[in-house]
Amino acid sequence: MPRGQSTVGRVMAQVAMVMNLDKCIGCHTCSVTCKQTWTNRTGVEYAWFNNVESKPGIGYPRRYEDQEKWKGGWTLDRRGRLVLRSGGRVRRLLSLFSNPDLPVIEDYYEPVTYDYDNLVGAPAGPDLPVARPRSVLTGRPADITWGANWEDGLGGAPEHAGGDPNLSGEWAEKVRFEFEQTFLFHLPRLCEHCLNPACVSACPSGAMYKRVEDGIVLVDQDRCRGWRMCVTACPYKKVYVNHATGKAEKCTFCFPRIEAGQPTVCSETCVGRLRYLGLLLYDADRVGEAAATPDEQDLLDAQRGVFLDPRDPEVIAAARASGIPEDWLEAARRSPVYDLVARYKVALPLHPEYRTLPMVWYVPPLSPVLDAVTVAGGDQEDPDHVFAAVTRLRIPLEYLASLFTAGDPDVVGGVLMKLTALRSYMRAVSLGEEGNEAALGAVGLDAAEARDLHRLLAVAKYADRYVVPAAHKEDAAALSALESGCPVESAGAPAGGGVALGMPTLRRTPSEGPA
Amino acid sequence: MITSYEWSGSETGGRRYSPFVINVEHKKPWHTLTGRQHFFVQHDWMAELGEQLPVYRPPLNVIGHYGDEHLHEDGRAEVTVRYLTPHSKWSIHSNYQDNKYMLDLSRGGPAIWMSTADAERIGVRDNEWVEAYNRNGVVAARAVVTHRMPEGTVYMYHAQDRTVNVPRTEIGGRRGGMHNSLTRLLLKPTHLAGGHAQLTYAFNYYGPTGNQRDEVTVIRRRSQRVEY
Ligand code: SF4
Ligand code: SF4
Repeated sequence: MPRGQSTVGRVMAQVAMVMNLDKCIGCHTCSVTCKQTWTNRTGVEYAWFNNVESKPGIGYPRRYEDQEKWKGGWTLDRRGRLVLRSGGRVRRLLSLFSNPDLPVIEDYYEPVTYDYDNLVGAPAGPDLPVARPRSVLTGRPADITWGANWEDGLGGAPEHAGGDPNLSGEWAEKVRFEFEQTFLFHLPRLCEHCLNPACVSACPSGAMYKRVEDGIVLVDQDRCRGWRMCVTACPYKKVYVNHATGKAEKCTFCFPRIEAGQPTVCSETCVGRLRYLGLLLYDADRVGEAAATPDEQDLLDAQRGVFLDPRDPEVIAAARASGIPEDWLEAARRSPVYDLVARYKVALPLHPEYRTLPMVWYVPPLSPVLDAVTVAGGDQEDPDHVFAAVTRLRIPLEYLASLFTAGDPDVVGGVLMKLTALRSYMRAVSLGEEGNEAALGAVGLDAAEARDLHRLLAVAKYADRYVVPAAHKEDAAALSALESGCPVESAGAPAGGGVALGMPTLRRTPSEGPA
Repeated sequence: MITSYEWSGSETGGRRYSPFVINVEHKKPWHTLTGRQHFFVQHDWMAELGEQLPVYRPPLNVIGHYGDEHLHEDGRAEVTVRYLTPHSKWSIHSNYQDNKYMLDLSRGGPAIWMSTADAERIGVRDNEWVEAYNRNGVVAARAVVTHRMPEGTVYMYHAQDRTVNVPRTEIGGRRGGMHNSLTRLLLKPTHLAGGHAQLTYAFNYYGPTGNQRDEVTVIRRRSQRVEY
């Protein structure tokens, strides 16, 4: 990002993610492979480091986006300084032993298992034996009344989705949960590995940290004392308490894979092939200033302003001076994330108004608008109809704006128009016609850029989606010095044993429910 | 594994499942008169019944022809609805449907998706237990109430096995059924058409089309106390 006279400050590199929401089919493969890799253990049955929500809906945990209630993220005090919404040091210390802003298990869901033994061990009888549900917390037969993905495909939406915190304001009153006015899209979520992580700032034990090398936010299991301030502070509710060890755990961005130059498990297994991983270079000296931008709707530009153009010679020189290796600079120049976030500006952050400067961004879905075009009797292929819909059909647009732009519908509308123009241009080209370059120009693209963006979004080859440089061997000592153990814990594993991923002991014995 | 010409696929070498590999890659002609893919069937009976091209036929009005099951009770609301059993996005046939993680990511047991209007008609709220019955069988499941379903149609996703969280039904008191308990393949005249090279049927499906995926069922709210 050329920034006139100002010199570039300390340059840092972060592995960041973009998801193209139009392609998410809500299959939950990412959630399942993540769970199998990281939270397939006692104490974190209820935790999904990656989950996929149906929108509109209240999400997981319930209504986590309601920061009036949960007090997550940052806010500005009267003098415009950044403070945690959960309160200053004193308020947080006072609530150390009873934190009122902490979600309880019912806000997530009561995890169950099933009496699988009965399937093979039931005595002979007239009926087929079945496995009934049983709580893993109490060991008693349980009724399943909520889950990590209760609202899938708008299930239960007429009863619950009205409680979606994004449905506020005048326009929201027009949202009807009726068949003819349905709109639905899926929102995959994981820890945002924020540039200004509230979880790290809230931790009284200094157990949470953001890695200098690649920006991944981790929990040091040896230092965590179970204060749970991070759970309250994280506005995305992406820190979980392991109820067996009493310590915090969270998405690790699959750092062992990232260090080896491989994509995260959720990305690797994504059926829609909609995830992108790549480096973003940023100016570490300007993070605080950007997060304290007075107007919430300016936070998007402020955060983009912190990212540095990896092709700018001044940036390259500053990055070298900050010790970023050459192959990382090369990877930063090929980063699909930089292209989507900063160059083409089609990706947007989730809830920038939380001021944590999240680093998982989203290409907003065009499909709710296209559906609305069809319902209104328009033609999805006609950019004029779609443009008109983008500006007139306020409901999906305002909704997307409350998710991605702190409520500014023009920015989301601009991105959707760009995607529409791209779609209709490439459609013409692939049918052997002349594309309408004027329409492209109107959204700030030329023909070469359109092909490039189309290749990235629509063709989306593996090698274009994931550009992850391997960690450097010479940094290995530093990387492992920071990690005194595994950032997740296994219940009952011996402490300090020769296990590669260090596993401390349990605080209490997990309930003896049937397996 | 039984492969039929209907879905001969290949997953060799770690490739994703691709159908009709035998025809497309191994160049075996399709099992039609022309050896190509075609929809048109030149059979006299098909012509007579107007089914030479794929056409929509509504489900048979079984209740109209054979009467209902005589299970109505005074003061107990019921709805008669179209009953569809489509494949879901969370599973491959019955695979993974009752995998523990997928149960955690759904309603954790048998579920029937229904519209807000139909649910209101029988006084059912999201996640309450309902019973669906017709002359083929009876199913106990939880209702997923959503405005995404059109009024008059319900879904029970294909294919939830009867092993997890399936209670006994009020009707009959036996173990409840699964999605196919309410369906039945009905023979119709075109199923008997033969003597024609193109009409060769494989095990599993009989006739030019399966017609059991579009059924009619009665649904009502049941006691919320379930027994296994
Ligand atoms: S999203 Fe991740 S990095 Fe950001 S505050 Fe929450 S746990 Fe911390
Ligand atoms: S695997 Fe990909 S397509 Fe499937 S739910 Fe996850 S993000 Fe969406």
